[in-house]
Amino acid sequence: MNWQWFHRLGSPRWFYQTTERWLPWLYLAALTILSVGLTWGLAFAPEDAKQGNSFRIIYIHVPASFLALAGYYIMASAGAIGLIWKMKLSYMVMKAAAPIGAALTFVALVTGAIWGKPTWGAYWVWDARITSMLILLFLYLGVIALQYAYQSVDAASKAGAILALVGTVNIPIIYKSVDWWYTLHQPATIKLTSAPSMHPDMFQPLLVMILGFYIFYALALIVGTRSEILRRERKTGWVRELAAAEVRS
Amino acid sequence: MTMYFNSVADLLAMDGHGVYVWSAVAITLIVMAWVLVAPLISRRQLLRDVARDIQRESQRQSAGSTSKTKNEEKP
Repeated sequence: MNWQWFHRLGSPRWFYQTTERWLPWLYLAALTILSVGLTWGLAFAPEDAKQGNSFRIIYIHVPASFLALAGYYIMASAGAIGLIWKMKLSYMVMKAAAPIGAALTFVALVTGAIWGKPTWGAYWVWDARITSMLILLFLYLGVIALQYAYQSVDAASKAGAILALVGTVNIPIIYKSVDWWYTLHQPATIKLTSAPSMHPDMFQPLLVMILGFYIFYALALIVGTRSEILRRERKTGWVRELAAAEVRS
Repeated sequence: MTMYFNSVADLLAMDGHGVYVWSAVAITLIVMAWVLVAPLISRRQLLRDVARDIQRESQRQSAGSTSKTKNEEKP
């Protein structure tokens, strides 16, 4: 088997130069799909019989929560790859994933709180799902904090990766929290094993929004990783050339 | 396909839920924009810092070489 791609993937410079060509397409795709999905969900989808129009918050709340969870797996996997194969680029991906995940978890919590007011009558409830999502936010913040807690970049990366891996225990708890503790948060709308509990007219724009958030996540992760690559490689010749060219233009 | 609401005013009001829906959308868009802009700002700052360092180094080098030639001319 040809492993050349794997070694190339480990080269931050190769990653930086390759992703340069992807960026315009990712920006275009994210902007288009999110605009279509948001307009569809907010203005065209029918309103919910029980919750009225407040249910439209689902079109940002559910995709943001999805990516907050998926992003944690991505961050922890990147950390694991860094620990096992000592791949520097992998640690850079992990570091870039932490603030994006924290931001999306924050969005999930805030939009959930806003949705809670007209639906449950309260912004915040110590429901199992909400509490476990708050723990997810703290895990992300912990990984971010560890990146700045050490003089040595290597020590910071290892510590961050270990915290990220230990924190994965929280993810299945979040997924299952709505079934284990049936308190207030409604059970999952979308399940892989059964048909969605939603009318297609409401469900289709949600799928578009989830796709849009996935593309946004990929874009944000690439942009963040590129910035981190420059920071760590700032002493190398190719970054110095890049900086000289950037200032001249 | 037609819009669910009869007018833009209805779309904004959403039967009283507009303030919840639109504030949630606004916060989300602001956070998403920040997620993309923050690394771009730090990237620009870093490239400027590196360029400034290069300039300083070259100035120091040229200053060093001129003083050397002066010393050589002295005797």
